[in-house]
Amino acid sequence: MTPLLTAENLVKQYPVRGGMFAEKRILTAVAGVDLELYPGETLGLAGESGCGKSTVARLLTGLTPPTSGNIRYAGRELAQMSRAELAQYRKEVQMVFQDPFSSLNPRMRVAEILGEPLEIHRIGSAAERRERVAELLRRVGLSPEHMMRFPHEFSGGQRQRIGIARALAVSPKLIIADEPVSALDLSIQAQIINLLQEVKKDLGLSFLFITHDLSVLRHLSDRVAIMYLGRIVETGSRDQVLSRPLHPYTEALLSAIPSIDPKKRTRHVIAKGELPSPVAPPSGCPFHPRCPYARPVCSEKRPELQGKVPGQRAACHFSEEIFLSEAK
Amino acid sequence: MPALLEITGLRTEFRLKGGVLKAVRGVDLSVDAGETLALVGESGCGKSITAASVLRLVPPPGRIVSGSIRFKGEDLLALSEERMRQIRGNRIAMVFQDPMTSLNPVFTVGFQVAEGLRIHRALSVQAAEREAVELLTQVGIPAAVDRVRDYPHQLSGGMRQRVMIAMALACAPELVIADEPTTALDVTIQAQILELLDRLMEQNRMGLILITHNLGIVAERAHRTAIMYAGEIVESAPTAELFANPLHPYTKGLLASLPEFGTPGEKLATFAGGVPDLRGDLTGCPFKERCPIGDEGCARETIEMREAAPGHLVRCRKVS
Repeated sequence: MTPLLTAENLVKQYPVRGGMFAEKRILTAVAGVDLELYPGETLGLAGESGCGKSTVARLLTGLTPPTSGNIRYAGRELAQMSRAELAQYRKEVQMVFQDPFSSLNPRMRVAEILGEPLEIHRIGSAAERRERVAELLRRVGLSPEHMMRFPHEFSGGQRQRIGIARALAVSPKLIIADEPVSALDLSIQAQIINLLQEVKKDLGLSFLFITHDLSVLRHLSDRVAIMYLGRIVETGSRDQVLSRPLHPYTEALLSAIPSIDPKKRTRHVIAKGELPSPVAPPSGCPFHPRCPYARPVCSEKRPELQGKVPGQRAACHFSEEIFLSEAK
Repeated sequence: MPALLEITGLRTEFRLKGGVLKAVRGVDLSVDAGETLALVGESGCGKSITAASVLRLVPPPGRIVSGSIRFKGEDLLALSEERMRQIRGNRIAMVFQDPMTSLNPVFTVGFQVAEGLRIHRALSVQAAEREAVELLTQVGIPAAVDRVRDYPHQLSGGMRQRVMIAMALACAPELVIADEPTTALDVTIQAQILELLDRLMEQNRMGLILITHNLGIVAERAHRTAIMYAGEIVESAPTAELFANPLHPYTKGLLASLPEFGTPGEKLATFAGGVPDLRGDLTGCPFKERCPIGDEGCARETIEMREAAPGHLVRCRKVS
């Protein structure tokens, strides 16, 4: 099967200014990311704050141009696309944002919020658009009566439903969702997770799902990729990565999650220290200063993504040797 | 011996234009020395207002209208503001959720950690600063001698939260109230902070009220857990008992909705509807509209907390 979306060696750097006399420095938010997303699958992208996962989302939706690297969609390179092709790309790839409070325009009624993407892409007549908005509201579990209301009249969960309806308006093929449930209360989270599953199944969509919550990741993803300091450090199927991790960072991340089920509880492998600055990343393996298994070579040579198990790859020199904990 | 902290019948209200918002509706809670009590609930359930009430720091127009809060037998609500100030930050300390807004941006972290020591222990500026270095080292801040001169913006989120904990612990309090202490942090940093709190609690036999919505943290860290809904405690029990044998339909629903318990790809359990409007009085059970087992009686009767098993209290008339 050919991938729907491919990212090759994607890099995004931002210049940062120090003080008046300080040299200009470069912050590397994304340091060479490769991704493949197949039709109909959900790829979960996880990592802690500052690892570059949201920047990847912005690059893939075309909200920010990459510093270098390629994005290929349905066989065409983004940088080579004509205006018409780009417009089509922006229609087929839609985004759902984290914060339903700041991602909806407070001065627009729901009908305008959902109608705007249809207008921009010149879909249907005014009457048809109205009908489509009503259908979208029903689709996400709201009622067409809500059409004339403003965002502030809705709860957080309802607003996220509106955000999802807006993404669905132009019948996309791929939805990139950046932490769509992290701002919501527990009982509401489950409702939104169910809604995302439902629309994915009913409409045959592909999903790139970005989260820091590994239990949500496990629930929604077919394949997962773990990011650390601008790079993907491990990728594979959900069960491979989350049950038999090959990278020490994945292991630390998994063991740091407090579990309700006493059977799932293991010794916490504590990652020492904190995320290093992306302005001055460590030499060699980016995780080596925090890694409990680090050896001299780890600070000298950066490991590439590799693996003997089909489908699973990790960027660690010693993933074959180190005893990594069994299923949690 | 009286409990370290004993809250009975606490009611806290906010007089607003649209009516009286009754945020805390008769809460009973107690914590012993060396014990961690988790207070769990969704946003708006009144858990943070309960915590603020203990320290008598309810923001206006809120006020405590009835109940008692006994700290080692002494009613905090009857104390003068002067006496209360001697307890606040000294014998009862608070760790807030967001270290960026709770630390003062124009003072160094050393100054802020030392403040409590200067006020409550009457230490000199130099002695207090030496003590601050000691405290910052204890909470795992590397090179604390240099860090005391840093301002909050120069530190990372995890480091700021450590500073907040150092501030709370400065006067060796008997009780710490931590309101979502790790919500703003990443999981690997969260694990470090929780280990730290555990270690310090053991050392000092502190009581801890841990306010959180993260049930994983609760299950691993708390001795007892109280579940709050619409301003009331609806269930409380020893933590292991609560998770093994939840009784209240709200607790059951909350646990069932967690992705951790779902089958990947399958639907998660949800409950319909939302929380009731807390303005004015509620008749019957506050969970009645969303409850899968409720009947007409639940809408009419006042529901009292009952002991369903030893130490396991539940506010539901349908639980036998």
